[in-house]
Parts: sequence; C-alpha cells; structure tokens
Amino acid sequence: MGVQYFKIAIFLLIFPLLISSTTHKFYVSTTSVEFVKEKEVIQIITKIFTEDIEQALQARYSPSVSLDSKKETEADVALLKKYLLQKIKIKVNGNPVNLNYIGKEYDVDIAKIYFEIENISELQSIEIENKVLIDMFSEQQNIIHLKMPDNRMSLILDKANPKGVLNFE
Amino acid sequence: MKIVKHLSLVIILLVASMGYSQEEKEAREPGHYNNNPFQQLYEEFSTPNQYRSASGAPGPQYYQQQADYVMDIVLDDKNKTLSGFETITYTNNSPDVLEYLWIQLDQNMRSRDSKTPLIQSSGASPMDMAGSFVNKYMGEGFDGGFKIEQVKGANGNNLDYTINRTMMRVEMPENLEPEEKFTFSIKWWYNINDHVNGRGRSGYEEFEDGNRAYIIAQFFPRMAVYNDVEGWQNSQFWGRDEFALAFGDYEVNITVPADHILDGTGELQNRKEIYSKEMMKRYNEAKKSYDKPVIIVTQEEADAASVNFDTNTKTWKFKAKNVRDYAFATSRRFIWDMMAVKTGNSDVMAVSLYPKEGNPLWEDWSTRLVASTLISYSRMTFDYPYPKAISVHAKNQGMEYPMICWNYGRPDEEGNYSERTKYGMFGVIIHEIGHNYFPMIINSDERQWTWMDEGLTTFVQNIAMTDFGEMYPNAIAPNKKYPLRRGTPNSVVGYMSGDQSTIAPIMTKGLNTFNFGSNGYGKPAAGLKILRETIMGRDLFDYSFKVYANRWMFKHPSPEDFFRTMEDASATDLDWFWRGWFYTTNVVDIGVKEVKTYYVTSKMNQQIKNMMAARGMTESDLPPLVYLVEEGSDDFEESMRTATLDDVSTLQEYIMDNIDPEDRAKLKKPSFFYEVTFEKPGGIPMPIIAEYTYSDGSTERITYPAQIWKTSNESVGKVIASDKEITKIVVDPDEETADIDTSNNTWPKRKKLGEFDSFKEKVKG
Repeated sequence: MGVQYFKIAIFLLIFPLLISSTTHKFYVSTTSVEFVKEKEVIQIITKIFTEDIEQALQARYSPSVSLDSKKETEADVALLKKYLLQKIKIKVNGNPVNLNYIGKEYDVDIAKIYFEIENISELQSIEIENKVLIDMFSEQQNIIHLKMPDNRMSLILDKANPKGVLNFE
Repeated sequence: MKIVKHLSLVIILLVASMGYSQEEKEAREPGHYNNNPFQQLYEEFSTPNQYRSASGAPGPQYYQQQADYVMDIVLDDKNKTLSGFETITYTNNSPDVLEYLWIQLDQNMRSRDSKTPLIQSSGASPMDMAGSFVNKYMGEGFDGGFKIEQVKGANGNNLDYTINRTMMRVEMPENLEPEEKFTFSIKWWYNINDHVNGRGRSGYEEFEDGNRAYIIAQFFPRMAVYNDVEGWQNSQFWGRDEFALAFGDYEVNITVPADHILDGTGELQNRKEIYSKEMMKRYNEAKKSYDKPVIIVTQEEADAASVNFDTNTKTWKFKAKNVRDYAFATSRRFIWDMMAVKTGNSDVMAVSLYPKEGNPLWEDWSTRLVASTLISYSRMTFDYPYPKAISVHAKNQGMEYPMICWNYGRPDEEGNYSERTKYGMFGVIIHEIGHNYFPMIINSDERQWTWMDEGLTTFVQNIAMTDFGEMYPNAIAPNKKYPLRRGTPNSVVGYMSGDQSTIAPIMTKGLNTFNFGSNGYGKPAAGLKILRETIMGRDLFDYSFKVYANRWMFKHPSPEDFFRTMEDASATDLDWFWRGWFYTTNVVDIGVKEVKTYYVTSKMNQQIKNMMAARGMTESDLPPLVYLVEEGSDDFEESMRTATLDDVSTLQEYIMDNIDPEDRAKLKKPSFFYEVTFEKPGGIPMPIIAEYTYSDGSTERITYPAQIWKTSNESVGKVIASDKEITKIVVDPDEETADIDTSNNTWPKRKKLGEFDSFKEKVKG
C-alpha cells in the first residue's frame, strides 16, 4: 500500500480545491463497470451531467449541438458517441477492447450512456482511462465503480491521473 | 432427586435452544474494548458543560460575540474596483480577556502571493481559455486581494496589524475585558474579478454591450468567530470552504452608478429617494400580492437603462439586524420582481433580480420558488425572521448569503431551455434560499462541518421540492411528483458502496473529504431522511428537528448539539445511528440468510433423545413436551405436512387440562412454523423491514427495531408461526435504508434485472 496509497491520499486530499469556489456545481461523472461472468460481458453505464457534456460537444464540434431537447439530432447523438469512445479507453487483461455502444437515456439533468464489452470469460485485470470532460473542466473528476461477482472497487480519475488499473490476482 | 431431574431438564432445554454454542475453542482470544455498535458516544462527544448542555441546548453560560458594522462602500464600474470604509464595534461577551482580534480577509485568496494555487496539483491542459492562459503564463496574473489602507482605533490612532494570508490580527491598545466593546475602522479597496472566466463566488459577469452584473460577497474585512469550542477560528480560507462569522447589526451605504438597480442584505432605508414614482407604485402592489410576482423594473426599462452608462451616482442605504454577513448585487441590466409571502405571522418579500438572459425561466419561476421555499423551510423550523429573501441570477453560481443568494439556470439565446436547465434552476434556488435557515440563522461552523449546513439544507430541500411540485403542478409537468436526485437513501448507495480508501466519515472537515458532494450533501441528507421516515417516524423527528432549529436560532451550534437535541426531544437513543452513519464509513446491508420450515409433533426428536441418553434419563422423566422438527431432517416425516396442532397429543392434553372450553375456541392455530435467519454483512445496524407474502397472496410487513442487532452483529433468527404458508420474504421492500446490496434481500433468491439489462431490454423494444 505504502507509497501508492500515500500518493492517492495526498491527491484526494487536495482535490476539492480544484473545484474552485462555486459551491454547488460539481464536475463529476460516475461510471459503473460490472463484470457479468455468466454472460461473459462487461456492462458499463456512464452518468454525466447533460449540460456539461453538451458544452463539451459544442466547444469541440459545433455550437449547434443540442442534447435532451427538441433540437437534438441524430448527428448530435453520433457526436456524443464519438466523443465518449474517444475519451474512454479500456484494456482487459492487458489488451485493448472495443466498447459497443448500446444507447443513451436522460434522467432529469443526467445523461446515462450504456456500453458493453463482449467475450470476456475471465477478468484478471482492467485498465480504465476516462478523460471525459477533462478537456473542458480542469477540475473534472471521473469516478469509476467496478463491480465483480464478489468484489467492489473504485477509482477516481482526473486530469493528473486519467488512468487506473485494477488487478484481481 | 426430583429437583435434580428438573434442573437437568432446564439445562437440556437451555442447551438445545442455544444450539451448542459453547463448543470448546482451541485458543483463547485476546480481550477487547467495547466495540458494540450500540455503545454510547461518550468518547466521541465532548463533555457537556456550562456553555453547551447535555440536552443539546445552549447552556446557562452560553455566549457569543457580537460584531456590528457601519460601512460606506463605493463601486467604480469603470475601473472595476470596490472600496470601503468600515467601522466595526466588537463586543466581548465571552468570560475571557482578549489580547488581540482576528479578522478574515477572504479576498486575499486572489492576491498575487496567495497560497491557494500552490496547494493545487496541476497538469498541462490540452486547451485553455485564452484569458486564463494569458493570466497563467503571460502576465503577472490578476492583481486581487485587499489593499488595506488604514486600520485605526476610535480615537483616530493607527492600530498595529499583521496579515497572515487570509487573516489579519489587529492589536488593541489594551486587552479587551469581558463585556467590553472595542471600536475600530478599516479602509480598504480591491480589484473586482471576473467570476465567469476566473471563477469565484463573487465578482462580475461582463455582457457584450459592455455592461456588467456584479454579485458582491466576501467583500469586506469580517470579524472571525471567537467561541467556547475553538477560541479564535483559525482555519484559513482556501477558496471553497465556507465561513464561521459572528452575528451583528449592519448599516451599509452603497454608492453605485445612478442607473444601476441594486439589492442586498437588509432593509432599504431611502426607498423614496431611490425609487421612481412608478417603481414605488409597483412595490406597494407587490407588498399585497401573495399569489404572483409584480415586476418593479421591466425588461424594457432595464434595456433602456443599459445604454447610457451614467457617470452620476446614487447611494443605496440599508440596515440589517442580527445577520452574520452582508452581500449585494448591482447592474444596469437587472430586471426586478417581488411578491409577498406569509410564513406564520410574518410578512416577507420574495424578490428576484436577473438580467434578461435569464428569461423566460426567471420571470416565471424564480420569485415563486423563493416564496414556496420560505413556506416549506419555515414549517420545518421557525417563521422566517428576516424581511426579505432575494434570488439573483448569476451565470454558473450557486451560493448563499443572508437574505440573498446567487443562482444558475440560463436558457439559450432564443429563450429555450431543457428540463435539466429548468430543474437545475429550481433545485439551486430552493437550496440557496433554504440556506437562510442553515447556516445563516442556525449558524453552524461551515468551515469545519460542511454537513451541518449543506446536509441539513439538502434534507429540507427535498421536502421543499416536493411541496413546490404540489403547489405548482404545471411547473413540473409531465412529472406527477418533483423528481428528487440527491439526499435520498437510494442515491447514496453508489457512494457508500465505493472503495473504502476514497470515503471519509461525514464527521470530517469539508476540505479534507474525497467526494465533497456525497460527503457533505447527499449522505447526511439521506441519513436524516432514514431517521425521519424509517427509524423515528415523522412526528418524533419533526418535533425534535424543530426544537434544534429553535434552540440554535441566531446561535452557533456544534455537531453534538444537533445529535443530543434529536435524542433529548424524542426519547430515542440514536447513538448507534450517529456512530454508524456519521462517524464511520460503514455501510448498510441486511438480507435473508436462510429460512427453515418446522413442523410440530409430540414425538421426541433425535437431538433431545441424544441429550437425554447422555444424562441417563428417559422420556418418562420429562413433563409433556412439544417438539419442532425441521423439514428434511432425520425426524421429519411426510405425514407432518398435513398434520395440524390438533394431532399433537401432548399439546392437546395440555390444552384440555389447563384451558377452559370457551377460551380454547379463541386459541390461534398456526400450522406453519419458520425460523428465518437475517444476516447483516453491513456494519451499520438498521431496522429489519420484512415483508412476508403468503400463499393466498396477502402480505404482512413487520419492522424489527435496529436494537435486534444489539448482541449479535452478524445474524439473528426469528420464529414465525403462521396459519398460512410463506411464499416470499423481502427485506426493505421499498428500498428506504440505503442497503448497498439487494441481491440478498429476497427469499427465495430471485435475480432482479439490473439497470443495464433493463435498459438493453427497453432498447431492443
């Protein structure tokens, strides 16, 4: 645990300062990653504030991008998918894997995006890089919750540490 | 001999019911301290004293300092500076002799020698806003922070002072004795920052037409708190942590360009001088309008005022009684509306200030939200004691000050807005207006205990949002109920079940927590909801919560004052709950471990037979007994399934001999016996809410109080006797206890379709 743990602790300790002074606005996304052994799949749900992701797409691609409104087009959704697939990279047991986009839905102010990784019979390690919105907000914090059949772990990713590895052996 | 026989019988029965619990152990385990989760919090709580009573009320010697301010403030719109001359009268109500005074200088967080950037870790960013790039790498940086021009005593002599970053120590000519007052003045100015591009809770937003909307807070040197818990509050301001401040009376004169519209903490003293005749007429109308806002300054009027950039000035004069801070907002572009609202017997003005960028959302809802929030929070605490509450629209802001707050929620340029913008705006206004109660009036130390203001505000916020949805169904249509997002038991499961190395107990200083939002807002609010709905019930909870609010109104409560009051006013020992939910990072996880079915018989079962044999006894040595046989065990016989209690001869004989015929008819005749074992993998005790479903489809819900876990922290058994077969048992069927793992909540085990699979099904159509 030693040094590594200490580093994480120090980093987490000072993290809140990056939020600057706006009290009630948080730059956070959460991603739950679940390994379903019997189906040999990894199921992923990313929850992001719709407003934040929309801002990022507008800044990156076009000011006309609109999500969760009457103005949302298929092209906008395609951009959302493109952006997320660019920003979320996963390696399973050391090998890069493809994320299948299943779909998205909105829940009040949050966009939930569903991905699936197929043909995973064993999970020895998983490396997750999540740079979503870090290009937009330097304080962005992307939290990963990993659920294994008999284990739960979390990662907090951000600009300084956008990538984390979890080993199970 | 008879006595011996009976004694051994008692022992046999005792041993049988204990299930051979005293098997010999190989090695003796070491002893331990009391680690029972129901242990009282004597070690965690500070000892009650004359200042703070064991009941949770202020003690007989409770004191708090008073800081009164008279301030003349001038805004220079052209140069974007704010200057002030303030006279502070500080009253030492403590029994201590004070050798010096400490004053907070929050603006110094922005000074060039600020240490705030030094404790932020940084990485190279792939993109940066041009303005912040210039600031970071190309220039000297924004020249923020207080420029203190003079600090003088009442006689005009200079006072020595020392600035330690965001705090200033002022030396008095003589020590300040108890009950004495000390009056001194400070002259200062500072450069106002752009809060949109540079961030910050105070500053200006600049519009394309060259106008600015100023939201000004934390703008003057303020007295730090001195109290019985901390002495001088000596925690520096790093940027996000909020404040501890003394109550006092304020007299504030603010000079701004003559074409500005301004509002701030306190009552306007020179309304007739400032308002036009038309505004005065509208204002008098608003004072009587309890159902809808009346516009005091229209959008057209704000547009017209935005073009001339008047070089004349006007001075707005305010007085505020018993507040712990001061803030104001001013701009040419402000639209202004107001309505009246009654909380108990007091008449209050609900007010909104917004640039046209906020419309149509703001003119429709802001003031109505303010009014409905005041009604809800007042019902849960006390009648709102201030004359007004103002919601100011400021981009990306959500921040509270006494009587005034800044709120986000902006439609796009064509005035369209999404559901999320709308609910974001509703939520932030209700939250920030709610902060008038916690911490503006019930004034906990925000810098130490984030949960005391944010958690309590978020808890009541959910009640206020539900109320608002009922009051204005068309505001939330097509939803039938206001959708609650944070502070519900279900919404903290993700956080609480996360990696333990990234979770801090709620009882942690806000700045040192890993996940500020969940730690300071979500988890405490969810905990209070569980107390209210599941553990105490609304009557006991609401009464006690109100007692806390009224005891500490205009005072400075500590965490124990809250915990103690909630117990004291409800006769409910909640130490186990505070311990589990607030002092640890333990989780809630309760489930059904196993269910055994038993049948009743008069035939002695093998277990008892063995015991008897070991002691050389026979059946005839025993009085008539009734035996329970587990389904599937060696003693079990298929015929037992259909047998009834009437077939159990020993029982029948006992009834015939001992119970009168008319009473016999009244006896219940359960034919199904179950031993249900509940397990608790989670560390926090919680009531077991068990819902039993019977073969005829009927259900019955039994709540076993949390104290069921008092001596057995891992599993407990319950025998259920029923005249109907149990087909299903669900623990916490309404998911009201933040159970982090519901896969063990149902018997027989049933796999619930998860969030992912349900969505996938839906997409497939």
